[in-house]
Amino acid sequence: MLISQEMNNIRNFCIIAHIDHGKSTLADRILELTGVLHTTDNKQVLDSMDLERERGITIKAKSVRIPYKSKNGRDFILNLIDTPGHVDFNYEVSRSLKACEGAVLLVDATQGVEAQTIANAYLAIDAGLEIIPVINKIDLPNAMVDECRKQISDMLGLSGEDALLVSGKSGQGVPELLERVVERVPPPQTDESAPLRCLVFDSYYDSYRGIIPHVRVFSGTLTKGVKIMLKSTGKTFEVDEVGYFTPEILPSARLTAGEVGYLGAIIREVGDIHVGDTIISPDFPDTPAVPGFRKVLPMVFCGIYPISTNDYPKLTMALEKYILNDSSIVYEKETSAALGHGYRLGFLGMLHMDITIERLKREYGQDLIATMPSVIYKVITRRGEKIEELFIDNPSRFPEPNFIEHIEEPMVEARIFVPNDYIGSVMELSEKNRGSLKNMEHPDTRRALLTYEFPLAEIITGYYDRLKSVSRGYASMDYEFTGYKTGPLVKVDILVKENQVDALSYISDKDSAVTKARGLIHKLRKLIPRHLFSIPLQAAIGGKIIAREDIAPVRKDVIAKCYGGDISRKRKLLEKQKEGKKRMKMVGSVEVPQEAFLLLLKMEDEE
Amino acid sequence: MRGLYVHIPFCVQKCSYCDFYSLPNRLNSLKAYIEAVLQEAAQYDQLRFETLYIGGGTPSLVGVNGLNDLMTGLTGIFRIPKLVEATIEANPESISQDFLQSALKQGIKRLSIGVQSLSDTELQKVGRAHNACQAVQAIDLAQKEGFRNISADVILGLPGQNWQSLMTTLECLTGWGLQHLSMYCLAVEPHTPLAANLPGDLPCDDEQADLYWQAVELLGQRGFKQYEISNFCLPGYECQHNLNYWHGGEYLGLGPAAASHYKGCRYKNKPDLDAYLADPCGQKDEVEKLRKPEKAAEEAILRLRLLQEGVDLSGLIQKYGENNIMALAARLNQLSMKGRLLRDGFIYRLKPEDALVSNTILSELLGD
Ligand SMILES: Nc1nc2c(ncn2[C@@H]2O[C@H](COP(=O)(O)OP(=O)(O)OP(=O)(O)O)[C@@H](O)[C@H]2O)c(=O)[nH]1
Ligand code: SF4
Ligand SMILES: [Mg+2]
Repeated sequence: MLISQEMNNIRNFCIIAHIDHGKSTLADRILELTGVLHTTDNKQVLDSMDLERERGITIKAKSVRIPYKSKNGRDFILNLIDTPGHVDFNYEVSRSLKACEGAVLLVDATQGVEAQTIANAYLAIDAGLEIIPVINKIDLPNAMVDECRKQISDMLGLSGEDALLVSGKSGQGVPELLERVVERVPPPQTDESAPLRCLVFDSYYDSYRGIIPHVRVFSGTLTKGVKIMLKSTGKTFEVDEVGYFTPEILPSARLTAGEVGYLGAIIREVGDIHVGDTIISPDFPDTPAVPGFRKVLPMVFCGIYPISTNDYPKLTMALEKYILNDSSIVYEKETSAALGHGYRLGFLGMLHMDITIERLKREYGQDLIATMPSVIYKVITRRGEKIEELFIDNPSRFPEPNFIEHIEEPMVEARIFVPNDYIGSVMELSEKNRGSLKNMEHPDTRRALLTYEFPLAEIITGYYDRLKSVSRGYASMDYEFTGYKTGPLVKVDILVKENQVDALSYISDKDSAVTKARGLIHKLRKLIPRHLFSIPLQAAIGGKIIAREDIAPVRKDVIAKCYGGDISRKRKLLEKQKEGKKRMKMVGSVEVPQEAFLLLLKMEDEE
Repeated sequence: MRGLYVHIPFCVQKCSYCDFYSLPNRLNSLKAYIEAVLQEAAQYDQLRFETLYIGGGTPSLVGVNGLNDLMTGLTGIFRIPKLVEATIEANPESISQDFLQSALKQGIKRLSIGVQSLSDTELQKVGRAHNACQAVQAIDLAQKEGFRNISADVILGLPGQNWQSLMTTLECLTGWGLQHLSMYCLAVEPHTPLAANLPGDLPCDDEQADLYWQAVELLGQRGFKQYEISNFCLPGYECQHNLNYWHGGEYLGLGPAAASHYKGCRYKNKPDLDAYLADPCGQKDEVEKLRKPEKAAEEAILRLRLLQEGVDLSGLIQKYGENNIMALAARLNQLSMKGRLLRDGFIYRLKPEDALVSNTILSELLGD
């Protein structure tokens, strides 16, 4: 059995941890140590996206194939997946786990177990993976090795005594870690002679070769020329390329059971393949699907609109391609009176939203406006005898106030780790954000673990950032959706020169509605340029105006002296002025700059 | 009509707001400079001009000899026997009797004096080289020497300026029998000392607007008509050279940073005195040849600055052809329907009260 011999040499594993605990840095060292890359210049080579570089975080999970000769001279193929740590990209982690038999769980020796350590460890345990605990960053003088060991045992139920001591920065302990991976992580259980069965765990769009699915082969073999069928749609394709990630894609002769790689098959239609699909052989159409991924619940919604209405088809195309690379986004068409045709997108969190919009702008060249984020509200209406329950993710779609019986909002339970010194300020902040304390524990002598119930809306409007700032970055948080709860909520409409701007409507709790509205109107007044006429700005609940400011008409614009007959300069100035207008959205006769549509969000940040 | 502009890029010192191309401490290059200008001029041998404008910088710094050399040279090269108008700019700190006499002798009968303000504190705050007294003397001298067409530049919105001080300046200037006033709002141009160090008492846009409208009213009462957004004159004293700019006419600019509009092209010399001295004919830059529809729009925008004259669509049709002004005509019409332009048959005008927001309106006339 030569084949299964080969199989024995494969180790598929991922690196998981809380954000910033050093996953990508460790991956760098592994790539250097195994000779895949000469040097990584310490720049987290797997974080290849511009945005990842800029923000110093991993956004997409990335796999790379690594040949490795163990101490006793045996050749292995390691398939490593570096995962993101931020809670918003949790879905990347859970998909990566499907392609692995083992997980290296990092704990930053100076931080200890944190919220995402626990969340990710449980994902891996639930997926049945072999977990190798590692205490990382032991080069730092304030490393607390013993405490970390204890936390790994107590809080994760893993063997803390067993944890390896590693520094992803210096490389210390990394050779021992690789030995442990080949020792402990089981080889994939596979059957190469069985019919083809692969799981699509990611994909991207290549303008030459169409959609490129990333696959984990569970059984059978993928080679060039072979026919494949999508289990979900029954569509068939012919494979014209297979290969690995090194981390760039590298064509190879075949991908066999147990391996992770990509395939090309000239799949052009965006709807033809989805992440989570199973690829089988058309000769064996009854091959069962690989259990797909848990469905993710989008938590945060916003509208995106092209700045120029003509660009809607372009936006559609960009979005369809984008989704191939991020299947956690949900989207549907939406039309706004103020902004025209666009899409409503659902995200896993605020960072996810931020990153997506930024990527659409940069990588897909879309000039777009994103509206204020919202959660899904449950609105109970009564029209005569008829009682209805509506789920609404866009405040502008709220029913008339007189039909609303009550409004329920999504609640989350948040677990917040916070060093003792900051407990007071975190509690104060949480109270301000309508949080109610459910529990307080002390996992160790330094920190408290606070359990809070929050309206999700509070979390998405910047609670997380503020939590970081009041705790100087030391608090960590994880949250999950718990259900709906009735809240004292009202819808606030914004009117610009008597025109209601649907994209600016928002839901607020009653107590802070007026304060918020005043703040928003004030910001809006500063943001909308003065026009040739005066512009009243109003905020209203139902028909009742709760805030108003007026933008006075402009009295003087910039007059460039046309000295010495330099007419071109003058004309260019006017052209620039005209160009600037194109970046504005017309609300009636008023030009509103794009920033206005993200205003509420920013306002909360600055509070 | 064709105009000739000669740039004199020298000043005694730099004013804090100035972004014109002019250099202090370079008068030693004067002789070479005039030779270079004549060398540049020689390319256009025998070209005919109706107006001449010697601007700056500070043209009064060239002195009697400089002016003589320049004018002798120009009259040798160009056909300018019967100029409709010849203007020279002068700053109060460098106006002398000799200079004025020699200008008149050379046929330069219009004088434009950089008065800017008659408040010493205002002048000082922006680093002007003269004071109010010098300005008064300069005007007096010019009138005595026989100038009957004198213009003064006034800046509106100087640091610390209020209506009281502006009113004094304007009342004096009109009272002394000047024929023309150019009144521009102070603009904070990037990379100027003013921009780097904004005075706290700089009037804001709204305050500038207040000053402007009060000034317009006062000048009206003194018999000055506002023939252009920033230009006022007694009847018959419009600046012909500048009118030609606003009519979309041809002109030639000599000297560094000077702009030209010749044979349908607009271009500028590079703003670099040394390069100019080394190669006066090789400085052409930013050459721009617009297509007819754009050209027509540009002309309409320029003409609309002439508040009373406005733009006559039938004139544009004749000049550019009906096909080339369709889009423009539609835009003009749209603006008049929106109440942003006045319409009288084929003639469109800015509403006088929109003079200070003209950019917002005029930019609408540009194509997409
Ligand atoms: N001193 C020290 N610093 C480390 C070590 N490993 C990582 N770091 C630093 O920790 C920070 C985060 O490292 P990353 O490798 O980007 O962390 P990550 O876990 O991949 O972060 P996310 O992907 O955003 O979750 C960087 O500033 C690293 O330089 C280590 O072993 N020692
Ligand atoms: S005098 Fe005129 S050109 Fe000279 S520096 Fe002052 S503003 Fe500039
Ligand atoms: Mg990372």
